[in-house]
Amino acid sequence: MTPRADAALEEEVRKRVTVTTWNAILDTVEDFASWGRRSSIWPLVPGTACCAIEFICAAASRFDIARFGAELLRASPRQADVMIVAGTVTKKMAPVLVRLYDQMAEPKYVISVGACANGGGPFKEGYTVVSGLDEFLPVDVYVRGCPATPSAILDGLIELQKKMDAERFLSTWRFGKRTELPVPVLGPDIVDVRQAGEIGALLGRNEPQRLKPPREVPKARPAARVADAGLADATAQVKAVAAKLASKFGGDRIQAHAGGALVVDRGIWGEAAKSLRDEFGFDYLANLTAADYSDCLEAVYHICGIEKAVPRMTVKVRAPRESPEVPSVTPVWAGANLQEREAWDLLGMKFTGHPDLRRILTWEGFHGHPLRKDWMEPYYEEPVKPFSIRWREGRYVPAEDRNRWHRNVMYPAGAKLDGGAAEPEPCDEEAGLLLSMGPQHPSTHGVFQMRVLLDGERVRKLEPVLGYLHRNHEKIGERNTWLMNMPFTDRLDYFTSMSNGLAYASSVERLAGLKVPERAEYIRVIMAELTRIINHLLAIGFQLNDLGTWFTPLLYALEERELIIDLFEAVSGSRMMCNYMRFSGVARDLPPGWLEEVRKLVVERLPRGIDQLDNFLTKNEVVYMRLKGIGVLSRQTALNTSVAGPVLRASGVKYDIRKAEPYSIYDRFEFDVPVFTHGDSYDRYLVRLAEMRQSLRILSQALKQIPDAGPIIDRNQYLLRVPEGETYGRFENPKGELGFYLVSDGGMNPYRYHIRAPSYINLTPLEEMCKGHLVADVVAILGSVDIVMGEVDR
Amino acid sequence: MSFLGSFVLRGFGITLRHMFVTYTEAARRMLGKRTNGRRGPGAKGIFTWQYPEERVPLPERFRVLPVLLYDEETGAIRCTACGICTKVCPPQCIWIVQAKGDDGKPRQKPEEFTIETNVCMNCGMCAEFCPFDAIKMDHRFELAGRERKPGEIHRLPDLLVSTAYYAKTHPGDWGREEEKRRAKAAAKQ
Repeated sequence: MTPRADAALEEEVRKRVTVTTWNAILDTVEDFASWGRRSSIWPLVPGTACCAIEFICAAASRFDIARFGAELLRASPRQADVMIVAGTVTKKMAPVLVRLYDQMAEPKYVISVGACANGGGPFKEGYTVVSGLDEFLPVDVYVRGCPATPSAILDGLIELQKKMDAERFLSTWRFGKRTELPVPVLGPDIVDVRQAGEIGALLGRNEPQRLKPPREVPKARPAARVADAGLADATAQVKAVAAKLASKFGGDRIQAHAGGALVVDRGIWGEAAKSLRDEFGFDYLANLTAADYSDCLEAVYHICGIEKAVPRMTVKVRAPRESPEVPSVTPVWAGANLQEREAWDLLGMKFTGHPDLRRILTWEGFHGHPLRKDWMEPYYEEPVKPFSIRWREGRYVPAEDRNRWHRNVMYPAGAKLDGGAAEPEPCDEEAGLLLSMGPQHPSTHGVFQMRVLLDGERVRKLEPVLGYLHRNHEKIGERNTWLMNMPFTDRLDYFTSMSNGLAYASSVERLAGLKVPERAEYIRVIMAELTRIINHLLAIGFQLNDLGTWFTPLLYALEERELIIDLFEAVSGSRMMCNYMRFSGVARDLPPGWLEEVRKLVVERLPRGIDQLDNFLTKNEVVYMRLKGIGVLSRQTALNTSVAGPVLRASGVKYDIRKAEPYSIYDRFEFDVPVFTHGDSYDRYLVRLAEMRQSLRILSQALKQIPDAGPIIDRNQYLLRVPEGETYGRFENPKGELGFYLVSDGGMNPYRYHIRAPSYINLTPLEEMCKGHLVADVVAILGSVDIVMGEVDR
Repeated sequence: MSFLGSFVLRGFGITLRHMFVTYTEAARRMLGKRTNGRRGPGAKGIFTWQYPEERVPLPERFRVLPVLLYDEETGAIRCTACGICTKVCPPQCIWIVQAKGDDGKPRQKPEEFTIETNVCMNCGMCAEFCPFDAIKMDHRFELAGRERKPGEIHRLPDLLVSTAYYAKTHPGDWGREEEKRRAKAAAKQ
């Protein structure tokens, strides 16, 4: 017989005869085991950022991950076998993820979802982002996309199932085998302990950090007399305030700048702030930040009066760069608390008298203050974009090769690598149980951590620990051109990308004096109000999730949301990261038939969806008992702590920026500002429900008034030169006041780009709201505040 | 009628109704009385798309990663290496080396074109501002892989797709662009 015929015969035999060798039987058993394993995946989902929302959609009704047997989302690593890291991994989060991985049951797998987790993503250049999860964990499947759509995530899951299918589990498995990875430590930068020796040796030689010094280092410019473009008639107000203050404190210590800012000497600022609040009625600190100039560090305050309807005013306090100390205003406006900590952390502005001035977005022991102009991150290339090496001779060099550590890390000479300062123990002086909730917790809405000191089951103290998703929006934003920031704003509060874009575009338009065509204004309002409905639907859905309803109300909410984001996808190309607003208009015209769809949705579908949630929940006894009287925020405290949006309105303050400082074309619509007075979690729920109905009212008016045709953009230019000046644009985002503090030095890039994030500042009174309540109520209260970590940590 | 727990029961009723509607709607779909109940304002009943067997239809503007177009007939790459996409790219993930002729003078062609897909934020600005309709956003999203490195960096050969492919994925845009091109050509003559 020829060998070929032999083979053919063997093939035939294999087909027709059941071969009963041990191996074949074992193979069948193996197949069966693999099938069993891959069909009952228990995923642990550290939803670190935006992609987590897409993962939630993948688990919800449209994509339904349960069809793959993977719906049992676990919050504890000990019960999980697949870790799905959905979103950006920051240096602060990486040790947590490794610790989680170490605790997972064997055999364990890791799926990395999204560009950020795969390789750093758009935030790779930032100083606190790990450029690839695989630096610390063995990743099995990479799901690409920014964000990865739910279908893409399912595609990744199928890829993992294929991998599991191919594995011979029974014959290779050894009991007792455990893979434990060393947990990286946080020193001046993240330290991979496997690399520590090498790093130490290199540091010991005291060589300069970089392989090549950068061609150009960033420079600070002197602080200028600046004009606030937002308030045309502010000068008179500032003059009047300045005159009164000068008579009290002395004329040389108060200056009124032509543009509308009050410059106060730092020696009297504490007193002056008190007098501004008590005598002039500035009871609300809208925004606080600082800016770095070559001749001074400048603390910037945007204040307004809500009770007496005092218009907004800018106050600046300057301090020399060598000793940047200004008095803290926390005794006057408690809302300054977190904002001052942020300014200290990122800019090194010291606020004397602050009760707890520690780092907040980075960690204790981090080197330097990143938003200083002369501070350069590990992958630093050039002071501003576009980078010159990208074009003409743009031979690709990985960012890793530009750094001697081949990672996104930098260690100052002589740095200690033993972990730097340990996590501070803020609650240690009192006896009690210190409980850490988060950053991996199903009800913290992302990578948020609370350190709760308990007295039995009751909360005695609570401290929010932030920064697990600090993605350096502001540092990157000051390098970007004006337009480049647009897609980055989508990733702030990733539920509301459309209204983030509107806020940013309008702020820049104010500064640059651009006009928006009529039709574009209407499109913007339609998008922003649809976004508000999405946000409130989800806020309510997630809150019920926190109360323990598991998924049901959230599924109904997500269903309505899918219908809305289908429309966003049709018009902008992406479900979440719309990147649709442009300066002086919107990116593209509406596709044919789009408005009809929205009309149907607004008239027929959404009112019913909202009514359904209302019927489902409002009078539900469990919801009522769990939320009523929980987390009460008094009117006074709400104002003093600068909370905004639905949280403020649930405490009885009738304040809506769409009414108080109308932007876009909101002055053309009739709508009410829903206000509830108890200030508890239940009222916050009611406010959201009522606001959705008001949004529908605005939508139906806008849909009637929108011109059928017309230009949608004045001029779509990618290099915008913005005249010198500064502005603070404030906008009523679904979660509260979203503010953009922009300083332009007349160039193509913002000189200072600060985001006043509503969810961040709404966390200020969290401790006060939670004190004395049960741990389970903390979850309910946090849910009622409605935070998104992308915006909290930025 | 209201007693403690009555609204909880009412809530259960809503869930129960949802369950029944899935069956009635499925029956109506089977009988051909409803064609598409899973999208749009009238969505009702079963909401799930059985991915991967069936896919949610993608809108034309859907965007994932950028691709470069070459002419189906002549094979010519449309890109002229003008560099505008590198200047608008927010995370600066596009790298272009302009080709040089034998005489050392720059030519209107890219020699190398690199996109770091793990930095790309799928924002679509490169396609929006490309004056030659050379770079476009692709619809392919099933890009999961077991390795990081291959597939992370897209070089020129990975990026090229034919205009015929683009015409298929973006029929509306393709039609408009072609019309513009023809009008331009006619104006030249």
